[in-house]
Amino acid sequence: MDFRLALIGVGGVALACKPVTPTSNARYVPPVISYPQHVNAAGIAPPTSGGTLTNPYQPDSASVREGGQTFTAMNCDGCHGGGATGWVGPSLVDGRWRYGGEDGAVFTSIFYGRPRGMPAYGGTLSPAAIWKIVTYLRAQPVPSDVPTERWQ
Amino acid sequence: MRLQSSTFLAAVLAVLAVPAVGQTPDDGQWTMPGKNFAATRFSSLTSITTANASTLHPLWSFSTGVLGGHEGQPLVVNNTMYVVTPFPDVLYAFDLTKDGYPLKWKYRPDVNPSALGTACCDAINRGPAYADGKIVYNLLDGHTVAVDANTGKELWKVQIADLSEGETTPMAPLIVRDLVFVGPSGGEFGIHGWLKALDLANGKVVWTAYNEGSDKDMLVDTSKFRPFYDHGKDLGLTSWTGDAWKRGGIPVWGWLSYDPDLDLLYYGTGNAGPYNPEQRPGDNKWASSVLARRPRDGALIWAYQFTPHENWDYDANAEMILADLNIGGKLRHVLVHFDKNGFAYTIDRETGEVLLAKAFTTVTWAKGINLKTGRPTLDSAKLTGASRGNVKDICPSLEGGKSPVSAGSFSPHTEYFYVATNNLCMDYEASQVSHIAGTPYIGANTPYHAGPGGYMGAFIAWDAVKGQPAWRIEEKYPVWSGSVTTAGDVVFYGTLDGWFKAANAWTGQVLWKFKVGSGVVGCPIVYKGPDGKQYVAVYAGIGGDWFLLAGDVRSDDPADVRPPADFARDLARHTSQGGMVWIFGLP
Repeated sequence: MDFRLALIGVGGVALACKPVTPTSNARYVPPVISYPQHVNAAGIAPPTSGGTLTNPYQPDSASVREGGQTFTAMNCDGCHGGGATGWVGPSLVDGRWRYGGEDGAVFTSIFYGRPRGMPAYGGTLSPAAIWKIVTYLRAQPVPSDVPTERWQ
Repeated sequence: MRLQSSTFLAAVLAVLAVPAVGQTPDDGQWTMPGKNFAATRFSSLTSITTANASTLHPLWSFSTGVLGGHEGQPLVVNNTMYVVTPFPDVLYAFDLTKDGYPLKWKYRPDVNPSALGTACCDAINRGPAYADGKIVYNLLDGHTVAVDANTGKELWKVQIADLSEGETTPMAPLIVRDLVFVGPSGGEFGIHGWLKALDLANGKVVWTAYNEGSDKDMLVDTSKFRPFYDHGKDLGLTSWTGDAWKRGGIPVWGWLSYDPDLDLLYYGTGNAGPYNPEQRPGDNKWASSVLARRPRDGALIWAYQFTPHENWDYDANAEMILADLNIGGKLRHVLVHFDKNGFAYTIDRETGEVLLAKAFTTVTWAKGINLKTGRPTLDSAKLTGASRGNVKDICPSLEGGKSPVSAGSFSPHTEYFYVATNNLCMDYEASQVSHIAGTPYIGANTPYHAGPGGYMGAFIAWDAVKGQPAWRIEEKYPVWSGSVTTAGDVVFYGTLDGWFKAANAWTGQVLWKFKVGSGVVGCPIVYKGPDGKQYVAVYAGIGGDWFLLAGDVRSDDPADVRPPADFARDLARHTSQGGMVWIFGLP
């Protein structure tokens, strides 16, 4: 029972923002890609027929809060840890990104998944909900890197 | 050389004719994960002794080129050593008859890398099994393969598990006669756990037995099913509330054993899901249990639940070691099991009656096990759940009083069981969690700390008749390796800070140690080489759980020592990742 309520909560997150029309979907959703295409031949990026990947949300407190709630409700914390600080999955708040840290790259990772275990949430979450997760992650402070660890 | 099936049958019959388990004829090979059906990991070879173990030295090593946790063990069959790496699950065949042990072949399967995100606890593999000229093992992505032991040619590959449901398959199969037994991981992903029997000839599924659900799903025939403590129909349904059983977890990722005389297959089941127990009221049978089934049709004969309504992620996937012990003046056919919950159980393996259950490490969640009811006497202050907030100082931690990965051994000489243990406790803060297929179904935050005494692990010799340790070697870090014991009364184990050690099986005196380059989470083996000499082999390669990786041992991970793994922050002073196979011998 509670488990269903939690899922309704997730839907609520998605519905809380403006209704997503097919037109706005096309604006937010990147073209279907395969992983090798992340390497751009001759250094020239392929055209993005789906439009630009611009985060429609500002890092205001409401979007960040909703993104954080979805991060927990969709079990992202099960792999990436509470607060996205890393668990079996990598930390998403240490400023280091395997697949690019720009908003659009993070969106693409969540929407399509990544080949080493990241599930694709594009069929489960609305683009708006994913953009809010991106907004949440981007709002987390990045700790300073410690290149030398000392024990004495 | 390929064994003909009639030869194989004759070998099985020869085994059947020997009355005492663990005393089966030992040809010096290592053909199945636990050395023999009884899973004793005892070698009858005698060249290495307590007198000469100090002269052991490394003879050979090989980098697997893989960084994941190197669990499980190699096989040695027909003078060939077979090694399966963690993901991408490469199978190497080394020719032990030639100088430098060159490769005969290697088999590189196509494994779906998506499995990396569905494996709860690193991309591990617990090893292959050999029978009838085939090396059989599981790929992480839910497939079982059989490879020709001579040529490396793939003979069959079948899908047994579903990644999209959160199932992965790192466990080591057991082969009994013409059947291969396999099960899934995924207790953290809301799976519906099972055990399958595959036809050794072609990999086809012969039967599937679920670990929860109706009697029909669980292959229970009420006229044959005789659990010692529980009665009633459909216990796998009635011990749950609503349909929580459908995503109730209960994986099979540990070790299997088999008693040819009783014709019973034994395996432990994993945790119930999710970690927040308030989402699954009831005993949650048969989570955290031992199940005894008939191999040929899967019929459940008896079952015993170690931890009813499991609150602490206490999987029971650890090995069931079969031994015949003199208890109260009577020779009893028992299985001995060291549970994650911190108790060591001596159980009549014919009936499922618990003869003895004593704590082998620090335990706070229960005061003891009531032998009349088979149930633990709980400390109600240590019960967990989303409504109970942060429950402090629960021992053992959810890594277990003993990790089920670290398969122990039994010596019929000393009649001791040799087991790697953890002295870790945890706080447990459960929360409500939603089930979304293919994503984690956990709902708890559980930071660890060292138990009383400050040391985090110990390697112990356990007397399963008295229910107490005969000796113990305390270690600074949790101990996660398996062990092997020999008729030379030497026992071998490894440590997370990268030492491989030999100890006197009677006294626990450390006779020799060697730094193998990375923490040991594998299980050592002992075998006879083509020259008739005795050898010891072990994997180095720390990993196998997130907390082992998070302790700054990953050079490519600047996240460094992050909570809740910061209890062992200086582990990185002694080890980093890296998979190696080592072979040791006498001068």
